Amino acid sequence: MSSSEHTSRRNRRFTRRVLMLGAGQLGLFGLLGWRLHQLQVLEAPKYTLLSEENRINMQLLAPPRGLIFDRFGKPVASNTASMRVFIVPELTKDIDDSLRRLGAIIDIPERVRARVLRLARRQTPYIPIVVGHNLSWEQFSQVNVFAPGLPGVQTDILSVRQYHDARDMAHIVGYVGAANKTEINEDPVTRLPGFRVGKSGVELGFESRLRGKAGVVKLEVDATGHAIRKLETVPSQPGRELVLTIDQEIQHQAMERLKDLRRASIVALDARTGEVLVMASTPSFDPNDIIDGLKMDQWATMTEARDDPLTNKAIRGQYPPGSTFKMVTALAGLESGEITPRTKFHCNGGYAYSKAYFRCWKRRGHRTVQVRKALKESCDVFFYNVAERVGIIRLSAMGRKLGLGQVYNFGMPLQKPGVMPTPGWKRAALGKPWYGGETIIAGIGQGFVLTTPLQLAVMTARIATGREIVPRIVRPATHEVVDEPKVLDIDPANLELVREGMWAVVNEGGGTARRARIPVAGVEMAGKTGTSQVNTASSGRKSSELEWEQRDHALFVGYAPADNPRYAVAAIIEHGGSGSRAAAPVVRDIMTALIERDPLARPAYVASDAVRKTAARKPRREEG
Amino acid sequence: MFTGPVATPKLSFAEKLLAMNWVFVLLITALASVGAAALYSVAGGSLEPWAENHVIRYCLGLGLLFAVALIDIRVWVRLAYPVYVLALVLLILVPFLGVDSSGAQRWLKVGAITIQPAELMKVALVLALARYYEWLPAKHISNPLALIVPVAMIGVPVALVVLQPDLGTAVLFAAVGGGLLFLAGASWIYFVFGITGVLVALPFVWNSLHGYQKTRVMTFIDPDKDILGAGYHILQSKIALGSGGIMGKGYMRGTQSQLNFLPEKHTDFIFTMFAEEMGFVGSMSLLTLYLIVLMAIIYMALRCHTQFARLVAAGVGITMFVYVFINVAMVMGLVPVVGVPLPLVSYGGTSMITLMFGFGLVLNAHLHRKTWFQRHEIRII
Repeated sequence: MSSSEHTSRRNRRFTRRVLMLGAGQLGLFGLLGWRLHQLQVLEAPKYTLLSEENRINMQLLAPPRGLIFDRFGKPVASNTASMRVFIVPELTKDIDDSLRRLGAIIDIPERVRARVLRLARRQTPYIPIVVGHNLSWEQFSQVNVFAPGLPGVQTDILSVRQYHDARDMAHIVGYVGAANKTEINEDPVTRLPGFRVGKSGVELGFESRLRGKAGVVKLEVDATGHAIRKLETVPSQPGRELVLTIDQEIQHQAMERLKDLRRASIVALDARTGEVLVMASTPSFDPNDIIDGLKMDQWATMTEARDDPLTNKAIRGQYPPGSTFKMVTALAGLESGEITPRTKFHCNGGYAYSKAYFRCWKRRGHRTVQVRKALKESCDVFFYNVAERVGIIRLSAMGRKLGLGQVYNFGMPLQKPGVMPTPGWKRAALGKPWYGGETIIAGIGQGFVLTTPLQLAVMTARIATGREIVPRIVRPATHEVVDEPKVLDIDPANLELVREGMWAVVNEGGGTARRARIPVAGVEMAGKTGTSQVNTASSGRKSSELEWEQRDHALFVGYAPADNPRYAVAAIIEHGGSGSRAAAPVVRDIMTALIERDPLARPAYVASDAVRKTAARKPRREEG
Repeated sequence: MFTGPVATPKLSFAEKLLAMNWVFVLLITALASVGAAALYSVAGGSLEPWAENHVIRYCLGLGLLFAVALIDIRVWVRLAYPVYVLALVLLILVPFLGVDSSGAQRWLKVGAITIQPAELMKVALVLALARYYEWLPAKHISNPLALIVPVAMIGVPVALVVLQPDLGTAVLFAAVGGGLLFLAGASWIYFVFGITGVLVALPFVWNSLHGYQKTRVMTFIDPDKDILGAGYHILQSKIALGSGGIMGKGYMRGTQSQLNFLPEKHTDFIFTMFAEEMGFVGSMSLLTLYLIVLMAIIYMALRCHTQFARLVAAGVGITMFVYVFINVAMVMGLVPVVGVPLPLVSYGGTSMITLMFGFGLVLNAHLHRKTWFQRHEIRII
């Protein structure tokens, strides 16, 4: 082959191969085009979404929590601003230096400084670390003015719950705290730093009303998270105001009255509507100490403190009602027909049942006793007789009819139900059969019978009005129609007989609570004392001879005015000794305060947002 | 003693200007304009700091291009080897005198100016290989002995840039060198054996490496393996591309780029930004424009009568192709992240000079497609 043939072969080969190369390039560009098609056409929706997620930062706006007022508009829980300063480690090169400069404006204790530095090392650097809170306006504005010279330092204003008359209202209002995991899952706004949710009391019971709805700010952010501009703002809806049925004034008086007692509780209701006017439980606590979340040592002190200050004994204290239960036994007997108003039993100071002997509190006995006298003098033997004839099932049923042995769904969480025992209940709870003797002592509110002060107040209101009163703690909103409570399925004549007995307890010679007469002319109280045994060994011995823990609980329930019941009150003084001596005077004083002040005669406060709502609704109605 | 079928035409300066492939100049100017527009958008609608400079550099580059194109091709033949040797020497000097730049030594500082020997080598390798095959008689093309010199010409610079380390450039050298051997006419057998050999040897080489060497290779292939490093960049790039959709978000409205989610958006990731704002339609148009330029270079190479001219033109074409392909494939997550710019669109002086020099050589080859070399002009040195 000549060199020119070689050359032309080489040239043809070049032509061939360069065209192959071109084809190869075309093919690889086709690959690029295919990939572009995949990304930009087929998967475009997915990436568009991701790009929006990148670009838009949704910030939740915490709604201001609804305010809480007492019956007459006195603020009970409100919100104050806490000005905070924190540091974002990511935004500063030298956190030590930033802290030092900040230290020139606000005081940073060494302990806080060490904590900030420790957290800065441990956490993801873009999580803000609180350096100080509750700054003064002066400090707050200084930090903001010098912000350019304080890299990484940021400020915000946090809404903090504040409780007024805190110790008086603590058990009713409750307190707020940081949301737990389940609460966070239900509403993302609770995840906001510093956001608080109700943890007890009406703060918990009316959480959904108080919380409001979160707003949203849509921000366009760059890759470093800096906001470029605001795209959209949906303002938050503030939580609704809550007007309690509580009269703070009398609540305070009740708390003062109980102050010197170790463990006691008193509940006062509007006997006709069930509105709770007073719900006092002692000892109490200051919820302002808890909400901070920082003062863990104080929390520990409170939970471990003597006499459970955190427990609302009005709804969580379960006590044998003692003789205050005798109205239940009497009504059970009368309603079942086992006794009539004229049925007589003889009391010689005790009652033999089976092999046991049950004493009357009066060793000498009450001789011949009818219902009215039995209530007035609180004769145990009479009610032993009735209980045996009626039986535990009908007795418990009457207790429940009068409001005992149940919890009320009225926005007070963590109520205890008490016990209205039945053989079935005992078998389920204790795995043991029911004994007849247990029915006998249930007749005088001992044994398995347990009630809460709230339930006793409800019972008293039901007896006083003959209606199915249920407790309410929050005033109805203006547009809410509150039905009048249903009439109880109890013969009014029987109720009237029991009321007469209760009137005699206080107002007739020989009644057990003569000292509970109200020092207001023309107003009489009807009531019933109760002294419930804590320990059988203590029976018959004087309280003053016993250790405090061994003494009897003192109870009293009453309503007034006797001829036109408006207020129903129940009180228990734990280990207070005798009901007539320890509990009756307390009820008398609170009842007197109620009668004199007469909160039910005054117009109650109407929530300001409720006023706005009605005003806003009116023009719409006219349109229609 | 060796004469071609056509006599070497003698062209005056004016005739050369007229005979220049102006369509090609127009095509690359279009590419540079796309670059300027994209850089204007990247800067948030401002000529500063990139768009204006880009235009100025392109204009200076055009001057270089014309100069390179108009110089007689015989000068380039004569300069081919010396330029290659110079580039090689500078490349060898880099590890000793180089300046560190983000973990890799690529720059040489000579007085006040810094140069990147690898850039010079991109042109020099094409020239030297073309020069070698212009000299090599056609009948020896597939002779194994005749392959020793070109393989060494390719292998030494590849080894040197791997040491820097600079994977992108090494791949480029290997691709351009291999491509030129292929175009020069070396037998298929060599390529089949070569590629098979590399594929077979890879696992053995890999296994014989120490742990730390493997790590080094891994970081060199994939410099930042963590999700917030390269992985994050590629994800953001894919989001930008995908969210552009068919019609794009509109000029200067690319949220991914304007809000800084994209890294290096004025250099390596400019295609992403362009595709985000212009959509599938825009990105395919840009790719088509590149394809037209590449096909134009192949067309010009086909029309050349000498091995030197056609190999120089084709070699520059391969360089351009490798740039575009690696860059676009990288931003779409098809190949690992390697710092390769998008020709004439990415901001950057060095690659602009290299490319305009290369295009100048393509136009030169086209202009002198019928210029024959005398035997003495293509002696070994």
